[in-house]
Amino acid sequence: MTREELAARQAQLLWALLADGDPPPGFAAEDLEREAKALWAKRRRVTAMLRPDVAEELGEQYVAAFDRFARSHPKSVTTRARQDADDFAAWAIAEGLLASPPRRPWWKLKDRSSGGR
Amino acid sequence: MADLADLADLADLADLGVGIGWRPEIDLTVARLPGVDWVEVVAENLHVEHLPESLVELRAKGLPVLPHAVSLSLGGADPVDPARVEHLAAVAAALDAPVVSDHVCFVRAGGLDSGHLMPIPRTRDALDVLVANVTTAQSILETPLALENIAALIEWPDAELTEGQFLAELTERTGCALIVDVANLYACARNIGLDIERFLDEIPLERIAYVHVAGGVEHDGAYHDTHAHPVLPQVLDVLARLRDRTQPPGVLLERDDDYPSDSELADELARIRAVVGR
Repeated sequence: MTREELAARQAQLLWALLADGDPPPGFAAEDLEREAKALWAKRRRVTAMLRPDVAEELGEQYVAAFDRFARSHPKSVTTRARQDADDFAAWAIAEGLLASPPRRPWWKLKDRSSGGR
Repeated sequence: MADLADLADLADLADLGVGIGWRPEIDLTVARLPGVDWVEVVAENLHVEHLPESLVELRAKGLPVLPHAVSLSLGGADPVDPARVEHLAAVAAALDAPVVSDHVCFVRAGGLDSGHLMPIPRTRDALDVLVANVTTAQSILETPLALENIAALIEWPDAELTEGQFLAELTERTGCALIVDVANLYACARNIGLDIERFLDEIPLERIAYVHVAGGVEHDGAYHDTHAHPVLPQVLDVLARLRDRTQPPGVLLERDDDYPSDSELADELARIRAVVGR
């Protein structure tokens, strides 16, 4: 397996997990589903940390709304976490889930990024 | 082959002791907790020009602050991004850190960012790519590099090496050090059948820079390494099994979310200290 072949296999795995691509051979479907859920949950937590206003405003709808957004908008390598969170907010407004851009209270304006792994 | 200078440098870590992951949300807690000998900080969250004051104060008190990266994607087939490695090197220089680290994983492929650490195939070809990437990163870094085993929920088919063999060969070919995350070992044992005893038999124990300990939770038929729950006794048991074989230079508690009270964190640090006897 060359670097190119490895690139193709890794790309196929991420597209399957994050963007409903064809699953790569050799993985159990239930394992892929569990991994996909874990990756969405991680991205959802980061977004909630960066835009707590949006998560709070959506309340119980937040998880379902975010997962719908994530499936149709896999995060590209060029999108930073802050942009991703803002994109979600814009999407939620466009979908009619949020009435208007929620105002961020001043004490939450500071950037907060994700923790370690 | 292993670089002798790198091997010698690890001696600087011999008495690291017990530490905790520094996060902005718990910076005051970290500063006042008893029994914190050192901290680790996520390199991507720091700006070298604007280091958080609380971190600078810890450093001024003489506490080692070790940068830990999460985005180098060294197991990825995409070429190494020199800017990411240069940032890690700059953070290490600013903190005068004796070692820097990332993971044996990939996070980017096909234009997508997984947002979390993904396992790589344990094949000789994938190892060759990892070794080439690690060598590239080492050529930019001025400090020894340690690489950590991740918690996996899935396993690539057609593995040719065990996790332990894979890491042993990686250290032999690159001279890198290891971070052994005992919670991740527990996760891999629970989720994908990793044999912990065999892993400990196969890795070069003398190449361990330090050990990670973290909490997690059983959910959806798997163990999830959340860093947002208490440390399980089973994970401390893995730490004890490692301690039976070697005294690691340092042990670090990672907590990233749902922060408990100061006393609960202090209690977890004390339990870790009791296991390693430091």
